[in-house]
Amino acid sequence: MPRPVAIIGCGQTKHSSRRRDTSQAELVAEAAWNAMEDANVTPEEIDAIVVGNMQGFGGVAQPDLWIGDWIGAPEKPVMRITTGGTTGGAVAQGGYYHVASGLHNIVLAVAWEKHSDSKEAGAVTGLGHVGFGAQMNLLRCGMGTRGFIATAGVGAAAGVAVYQAMHYMHRSGCKIEHFDMIAAKSRRNAAKNKYAHLQWPDCTPEDIAKTEMVAYPFRYGHICPASDGASALIFAEGSIARKKAKTPAWIKGLASITDEENQIMSESGGGIGVLDSSEQIGARIAAQKAYKMAGIEDPQKEIDLAEIYQPFPSQELIFAEKLGLFDEGKAWIALEKGETDINGRMPCDLSGGVLATNAIGSAALQRILECALQIMGKAEEHQAPKKIRTAVAHGWGGSTNYNTVTVLGASLD
Amino acid sequence: MPYIKEERKETLSVEGEWAYGAYEYKANKLLDEFCQGLKERKLIGSLCPSCGKVIVLPRAICGRCHRKMTERTTVSDKGTVLSYIVSPPMVKGKYKMFGVDPVELGIVKEGESLIPANVRFDGSDSPFNTLILNAKPEEVNIGMRVKVVWKKELAGNLSDIEGVEPIRG
Repeated sequence: MPRPVAIIGCGQTKHSSRRRDTSQAELVAEAAWNAMEDANVTPEEIDAIVVGNMQGFGGVAQPDLWIGDWIGAPEKPVMRITTGGTTGGAVAQGGYYHVASGLHNIVLAVAWEKHSDSKEAGAVTGLGHVGFGAQMNLLRCGMGTRGFIATAGVGAAAGVAVYQAMHYMHRSGCKIEHFDMIAAKSRRNAAKNKYAHLQWPDCTPEDIAKTEMVAYPFRYGHICPASDGASALIFAEGSIARKKAKTPAWIKGLASITDEENQIMSESGGGIGVLDSSEQIGARIAAQKAYKMAGIEDPQKEIDLAEIYQPFPSQELIFAEKLGLFDEGKAWIALEKGETDINGRMPCDLSGGVLATNAIGSAALQRILECALQIMGKAEEHQAPKKIRTAVAHGWGGSTNYNTVTVLGASLD
Repeated sequence: MPYIKEERKETLSVEGEWAYGAYEYKANKLLDEFCQGLKERKLIGSLCPSCGKVIVLPRAICGRCHRKMTERTTVSDKGTVLSYIVSPPMVKGKYKMFGVDPVELGIVKEGESLIPANVRFDGSDSPFNTLILNAKPEEVNIGMRVKVVWKKELAGNLSDIEGVEPIRG
């Protein structure tokens, strides 16, 4: 049996497109310090550290090698976990495992990205070097530059989400106007989160609808930024957590599931034969496993709030359904009714989510962090007015094949 | 009120560069077999003995069942559009991909919209990522029937498939 584990401290930096005022190490150190202060623990009390970012995005292949002595790592075990978009989710779950196993009592989990250290928007070269080994194969086997540009360039990360959105719209009846609504909600929510990146206090769906079409059905206003920033969590064993924190955020259940491989980036080009890229069975299975561990039978009734990994608005809807928060193909109807707003039945991404703040390595950890803040009552301006007893955090990444789901609660029962 | 912006002081930076040509990846073995098939206008897939799915391009191990896929099968060069993307009209100087401007390089025409798509070839159970050619963006839809546009002189490499085009009439 795993030991009881809770989050007792959260730390973040301000996220923005260009943190040219700080080095990568300083940025990471700031989040780690904030988390230790919030948890009321000293660097000496930390037993082990789990770190992660998206390899190569900041132009450095293994930043943890020279960041260790900025986060109190000397004489302690450090484990790096890098799983693409789910990095932060995997880093946090790694922190949980360290404590749940009984090997460590207090663990720091810290994740970050510093996109602006790369000269290109979205660190395309980093992606090319890290993620497109397989695609480079195809190029070298005579794919031709035109095909390569079209499928890898137009169809890279945003492309995967476009295919996914097209499938979802086709089968659910959701319209582009719903994406405008989600994007505007994200910008408004972010304006109440002092650490968020794209903050637009009174943003309306009409404001978003005015932005340029990038690739149908996505407008410029629908797309996540590339952010610089870091976030950190302190995990503690149950009895320590009760002593250190007024309201610890307990980890009630978690799962990480690999499933469909993105055909664009798959090693052979054929993937595993998933015809509808919005199917995301991995998210469904991860949610089912995490809920089972948490003792949740009906997520629609038992979950109070969700933080969903949604770099594109369609994904808030798709993954909310996969997490069982709404019936399949019906999340956009709940959106229309305001159910996902701060006062709604199932608030989604009150922090603004990934759509507002996307420091890749940090993004999935922030989802867990935001759920913890809501449970601890520390979300300040974006705190949900209702009591949050159970919340679910989601991460999506890898080569679009990884999903992390973490269920947090105000108590262990 | 638009986006909130914050000003920050820029501190000292250090420049660096990574070269794209610095790697030599190995392709998977079955890519050779697939490319040989292209010379005869054949699309070769592999059949999973467990789930019965046919995956194009062929692979040695089923990604879901983890069974060895030793059997090959040839699928049709006609298929159905599963999903697609319409790029904005490509304009010189506006978009850079992997460090190059595709319009300046002459591989995309000025004002041209690219339509990458996932196509399921008849007899296969996987999406094949390619380009839709000879079609206006507004006439493309999910479920549209298409066929492969083969290169005039087949060389046994991936560019033998130029893309797919609508089956008309």
